[in-house]
Amino acid sequence: MPVNYYIFLSLALFAIGIVGVLIRRNAITFFMCIEIMLNAVNLLLVAFSKMHHAKQAATLATAGIDGQIFVFFIMVVAAAEVSVGLAIIVMLFRNVHSVNVNFLNRLKH
Amino acid sequence: MISLTGLNLILPQLIIALAAIIVMLSIAVKRCHRFTNLFTLLSFAAAAISVLYIPRGSFGVSSLFVVDGFGKFFTVLIACAGFVITLMSYHYLNAREKRNEEYYILLLLSSLGALTMVISNHFVSFFLSLEVLSVSLYALIGYLKEEPAGIESGIKYLVLAAVSSSFLLFGIALIYMQTGHLDLSGIAAGLSSSGEFSGVFIAGLAMVIVGIGFKMALVPFHLWTPDIYAGASAPVSAFVATVSKGAVFAFLLRLFYSTGGLENKNVWTVFTIIAVASMLFGNWLALRQQNIKRLLAYSSIGHLGYLMVAFLAITDRGMQAATFYLVVYFTGMLAAFGTVIYMSNKKGEALYIDDYRGLFWKKPWLAAIFTTVMLSLAGIPLTAGFLGKLYLLTAGTEVGIWLLVIVLVVSSGIGLFYYLRVVAVMFAGKNENEASSEPVIGKIFPHGLVLTLLFLLLLWFGVYPSSLLEIIQQIASVIR
Repeated sequence: MPVNYYIFLSLALFAIGIVGVLIRRNAITFFMCIEIMLNAVNLLLVAFSKMHHAKQAATLATAGIDGQIFVFFIMVVAAAEVSVGLAIIVMLFRNVHSVNVNFLNRLKH
Repeated sequence: MISLTGLNLILPQLIIALAAIIVMLSIAVKRCHRFTNLFTLLSFAAAAISVLYIPRGSFGVSSLFVVDGFGKFFTVLIACAGFVITLMSYHYLNAREKRNEEYYILLLLSSLGALTMVISNHFVSFFLSLEVLSVSLYALIGYLKEEPAGIESGIKYLVLAAVSSSFLLFGIALIYMQTGHLDLSGIAAGLSSSGEFSGVFIAGLAMVIVGIGFKMALVPFHLWTPDIYAGASAPVSAFVATVSKGAVFAFLLRLFYSTGGLENKNVWTVFTIIAVASMLFGNWLALRQQNIKRLLAYSSIGHLGYLMVAFLAITDRGMQAATFYLVVYFTGMLAAFGTVIYMSNKKGEALYIDDYRGLFWKKPWLAAIFTTVMLSLAGIPLTAGFLGKLYLLTAGTEVGIWLLVIVLVVSSGIGLFYYLRVVAVMFAGKNENEASSEPVIGKIFPHGLVLTLLFLLLLWFGVYPSSLLEIIQQIASVIR
């Protein structure tokens, strides 16, 4: 399959993530959208890794491997990010009894 | 193969990582704020001193890191900033929060992220350091549980930083597609072999600029800055203003100089627009602020814009000017936030400019320090800020980037107004309602001592800069 399809799919996923962050007001949904964005990048990296491997496998057996390894790091980081984020959301819920970000308007000019 | 020979090269990073683990374990055994604070101080000092044991020259540690003079200089700078912030946090946390020990784990971890970022030579190590830095910052920003504004700014920073790092990652993936490499030297090689910059590569670079621009709070990615500065506790704001921005700036220099990304006209133009907008908007929006932390936030946006002038000069002198200015900026910002911390009381921070009314008649020494800091940030002669700006200007005029130079001068002129307004308030008549205010939490030791030291540094660099410049001249040409 040509790499273009992967690019379009991950662009679509990334756009869904951005739109979600922009229009939704729920902190949990924010995290789901950010996960979608990160996974779009993961898909892209794996696709490119395969592409580079197919191109250079004859000369270098490990060609394109770094893209796949990067994906693992991104997964780990995403998990860490969400665990800290959920802790902060719990604190928010204790404060305002909601996870709606419209309540976050104390900081004004 | 992994060998142990490279370990002495990353000694500062190892010390800070180990310190974070030890602090965590020590909390499990027994909570003691004084011990934790002291231990954190010692580990920052040890990290700064351990740089002396790294041999001279440029060494690669696997393909992820490169330890050179530039990286070592920033390592020392960040470790010193961490030291100062730890010192200033002690009485502040004692007064405002009950459980303080975890604060130091987070501080150590985010400093670790910054320390590894300045020696990163690979997108994987850069991304990991960025996330170590920012994930610990999320928690640090929302650290004061009693403070609703802190949680609000924590969640704002969390969402925006996560979105910006996904942009960064998408950009990295596009660059990876074009060059087939994630390490900076490989990217440079891939670029020079392909000749022209392709559309995909430019798009990738643009998205990387979004991610990096967000971290450095450059216009138009600056909207989070005033809210986060105002909502986070003052020591954490100082950390965000100095360490987090300085480390990303160091990587920005490495990324664009070693890959030659700035040679493309479009990329250069984008950066010029960002720099001009940061200088003008940062200083202009600061004019209206009554809240001193918001004022410092906008001022820091302007200062990062000034730094971009030296970055865009793409010369050795530009590098030296940027490094010198960054040191001056670190000193000035730490001292400014240090004064805010000093003036805070148990109920809250001294947020408004009116809280400083008549400070000169009550605490003349503190007022003198704060005045010098403001003058240095504004760039008045005899302070370090003036010389820093002078070097930026010479770096700019040398290569004839006149637009940037003119905007720098104009926005410094705008900047004068709000810095001098703060100074004027301090020398104005006494505060009417001072009877109701609680005593400030700043103590002569260690707080006053640190502030005095930073104050002396600002004057020292302003009158006799050659001591610092000699060091900078040795390290600044290494990177290219």
